[in-house]
Amino acid sequence: MGRVKIAKKSTFIDMTAMSDVTVLLLTFFMLTSTFLAKEPTQVITPASVSEEKVQETNYVQILVSPDAKRDAQGRVTEGKVWLTMNNDTSNKWSNEKMKMALLDKVAEIYNESHKNKLSFTPQQKMAFSKLGSFGVPLAQMGEFLNLASEPEGTSKMDKWLQGQDTDPNHVTGIPVEWNQDDTRPDEFQMWMKAMRQTDNENLAGAIKDGTGVALKADQNTAFDIVHMVMDNLQTIKMNKFTLLTSLKAGGE
Amino acid sequence: MAEVQQKEAGGKKKGAQKKMTIRVDFTPMVDMNMLLITFFMLCTTMIKSQTLNIALPSNEKVQNEENMSQASADDAITIIIDAKRKPGSFIPDTVNGRVVNEIYYYDGKPCNGEAVPTAENNNLKKADFVGSKDESKDIRRIIQDRNKDVWKKIELLKKDFRDGKITQEQFDVKAKEVRKDETLKKPVIIIKSTPEASYGALVEMLDEMQINSVSKYQIDNMSRMDSTMLIEFQNRNR
Repeated sequence: MGRVKIAKKSTFIDMTAMSDVTVLLLTFFMLTSTFLAKEPTQVITPASVSEEKVQETNYVQILVSPDAKRDAQGRVTEGKVWLTMNNDTSNKWSNEKMKMALLDKVAEIYNESHKNKLSFTPQQKMAFSKLGSFGVPLAQMGEFLNLASEPEGTSKMDKWLQGQDTDPNHVTGIPVEWNQDDTRPDEFQMWMKAMRQTDNENLAGAIKDGTGVALKADQNTAFDIVHMVMDNLQTIKMNKFTLLTSLKAGGE
Repeated sequence: MAEVQQKEAGGKKKGAQKKMTIRVDFTPMVDMNMLLITFFMLCTTMIKSQTLNIALPSNEKVQNEENMSQASADDAITIIIDAKRKPGSFIPDTVNGRVVNEIYYYDGKPCNGEAVPTAENNNLKKADFVGSKDESKDIRRIIQDRNKDVWKKIELLKKDFRDGKITQEQFDVKAKEVRKDETLKKPVIIIKSTPEASYGALVEMLDEMQINSVSKYQIDNMSRMDSTMLIEFQNRNR
């Protein structure tokens, strides 16, 4: 039974080089990545050929909800928005400090026109300063911020913001109404006024020259909803702002 | 590389250990790294959003200068964006969940200055979004045609830039000069939108202004005249 003996060869492949490459790639992605911010509603922004990039700091993003309340004639009566604020942290204003100042300011503006006075505890302010996107009616803000100290509070807050809360009394979104009276602002206008009135000059300056306010809405959102938000901004003389768009494929 | 060979010190002795090779298998390590890379690749946003700058007049100004747009309406083009819908309905037609929009436009004053729109004086015309088969109805062609003095000059500058004759800075300066040149005929474009039309269509129109180098344009509210004209036109062309 003479058989040809085949020499046994090792099939071991040296993976060290491969591993080196993957670790390098991994490091690159870890360092360059900025995570997708979690937003209360997912929108697809319309496309444009504009090449101007969005600001990284000193800007307020207004996310417009595609849903709104309408009356019997189909006219929009109340919409809702969520806000995100990004602060220039190179100066003395940290993001946390800025948010706390903002909450104080908005409570001050709210208290001018409402009987039920708002005040926030240091814990609530702390919780607010840690938020990414925010937007609940001011009357429920205290209750919302109290969730932060509960176990699994952040996921409860996320659920509230996304409108998936089981409690029917919990409303998400800052209410926007048709309002052309500068002296009696609605809640959205209160927030935007507060943004301008904090002592942070960099943010106030960016809002004034128009680069500091970015409107983000879905391409399928009806025009009157966006129009109402724009009209609100016009009323408080924030008539310069930017619209967030995505890059149009192919360009011209 | 992943092997360590142990060498015996000195010559061969009895009872000395055999030459040993220690190999570390890196395959699981690579697998894990690949998974992590995939995770980071999927979670990152590489492309930043673009922005479109707009400046609206403050509301006080709008009320004071209500007649302004009427006065300068002679060289104005008014573009009206509407959503396609059934007669008398507020609910727009949708295709795959997207609202179907339509564009209308008129030159100069609505109905040539007359108060009630009729089939004779209604100067509203229907246009198509970019990519239309009928070129004469393509909104980009229409805007380009009205703005051809400026547009042609800008196109020449663009060609120079592409051929490397001028730098980006020179291009920007020259393009700005052309846009501000008062001797060229420039249209004023007023963009209006009905409540039902989608926001995306408005941005598309604003984008067309950029593409066609239109320097004077504004977003305005629908007037009562615009609505009646639109209804009259739609009733006639149904």
